[in-house]
Amino acid sequence: MSLLPNPQSVIACAILLFASTAFASPSGPVVRLFPTTVLEDIRETSQVAEEMENNLQEIIHRLDMQREMHQESLCQGADSDQGCARIAKQLGDTYLEMLNAMSERLPEMERAVTNTRQSLEKRLRSELGHRTTPTTLQNSLLGEAASTVSTTKPELRGRSGVRLSNRFKQYYNLVAAHREGPAKSLAVVAADIYLDMEEAAQLIAATQEEIGRATLMGQLNQSFGAITPEMANVVEGVKEILFGESSEIIAIPSSPTLASQTEYVSPLDM
Amino acid sequence: MKSLIIALGTLIVLGGCANQTPVATSCNIDVSNKLVSAIHEVEERLASGCAYHFDAYFQQLMKVAEENAAPENKQLFSEHLVRVSDAGLINKRQAKALYNRYFNVKFVSFTGDYNTCSQACPVHSEVVSNMRHELKDKERGLMHASLDQGSYYRADHLLKEAQLVLEATCRACANGDQN
Repeated sequence: MSLLPNPQSVIACAILLFASTAFASPSGPVVRLFPTTVLEDIRETSQVAEEMENNLQEIIHRLDMQREMHQESLCQGADSDQGCARIAKQLGDTYLEMLNAMSERLPEMERAVTNTRQSLEKRLRSELGHRTTPTTLQNSLLGEAASTVSTTKPELRGRSGVRLSNRFKQYYNLVAAHREGPAKSLAVVAADIYLDMEEAAQLIAATQEEIGRATLMGQLNQSFGAITPEMANVVEGVKEILFGESSEIIAIPSSPTLASQTEYVSPLDM
Repeated sequence: MKSLIIALGTLIVLGGCANQTPVATSCNIDVSNKLVSAIHEVEERLASGCAYHFDAYFQQLMKVAEENAAPENKQLFSEHLVRVSDAGLINKRQAKALYNRYFNVKFVSFTGDYNTCSQACPVHSEVVSNMRHELKDKERGLMHASLDQGSYYRADHLLKEAQLVLEATCRACANGDQN
C-alpha cells in the first residue's frame, strides 16, 4: 500500500484548509491585532504598573516637597549654608530611596513592558505592515462608513494626564469591549500602546543606568549636593510615565458634531 | 503669374487653418466672479489651445470658489474635471488626484498597492509631510470653498491617526528587519 495520499484527498484537504483559514477570524484584523495573549500582556502590565505606582507615590511626593523647599529657601549655589546642605542631603537620600524602590520593581516591569511591546510589535508588523497597503490602511482608519462620525472612537490618545496603570486598564477595557467591533480605532490603540511601551522601555533603561551611577556615587561616599539636572530629568520622566504628569499633551481634536448633510458623491471619489 | 502664386499660397494657408483648433488670442483671462461662468470661460479657453494653462486656471477657479463658498462647489469642480478629462486635456488619473486632493477626506498622498512596510515606511516622513501639505489644500477645497467643515475635521483627524499608526508600524517593520 502506498503511503502517498491520492490526489483527490490532497485537493479535499486543501479546500478544507483554505475554508478554515478564510473563516477562522470573522472579526478580521481586530482579533489579529489583539489576540488573547496580547490582551493578557496588557492586563499584566497594568497590574505591575499599579504596584510600582503605589510604591513610589509617597516617595515622589516627598521628593517634590523637598525640591520646593530647596528652591524657596534660595539654596541654589549656597553650598556653604548648613540649612541648605541639610535639605540637599535629604533630597539626595530621598532620590536614592526612589531609585531603590524602582530597582526592586523594575525587573518585573521591564519584563511586562517587553512582553507587551514585542507581542504588539509582531502584530503591527504582520497585520498593518505586511498585510495592508497604504490605501487599505487609510480606508480602515477612516472606517467602512466614511461619512459617519463614529461614536466608538477611544477617548484616549497619546500620553496625556493618565496614570500608567489606569491607561492600561482603559486600553484593556477598550480592546476587550471592541474586539468584535470595528477595526478602525483599534489600529490606533495598538499603535498608541506600542509607542507607550517604547517610551517606558527607554525610561526603564535610563533609570537602570541612573541607579548604577547613583550606587557608584554612594560607594564613593560622595554627596549628591543639590539635585542635578540629570536627577531632575529622571524624576520628571518617572512622573510622566507613571502618573501622566506631562507638560506636553498630544491631543487629537475631535470633530465638531456637525449635521452630516446628504453628501455629494463624485464619480472621481477614491 | 506672381500674384497667382501669392493668391494660391494664401488659399492653402487659410484652408489649413480651417481644420485646426481655434487658437485664443491670449490665454490669460480674468475669470468671472461666479463659479459656473468662470468654469465655462476656462473650459472655452482650454478648448482653444490653452490647455497648458490648466493648472493656473484651476487655481483661479479655486479662488473664485473660495470667494463664493457653497456646498455645491464640490460638485461643480467634479463635473468640470470629468469634462476636462473626457476632452482629453488631462487624464482620468490626474482628474481623480486633483479632485480628491481638494474635496475628499481621504489623502491622495497616502495611497499605494504595495505593503506598508515596503512602500510607505522607507519614505515615512515624506509621506507625512505630503499629507500635511494636502491637508492645506483640503482646507481650501472642503472648508473654504465647499463649507464642509465636518469633512475637513475628519481629514485632520485622519492625518493625526495615520501619523501615529505609521510611526508605530514603521518602527515595528524596522525592528523586524534588524532581527
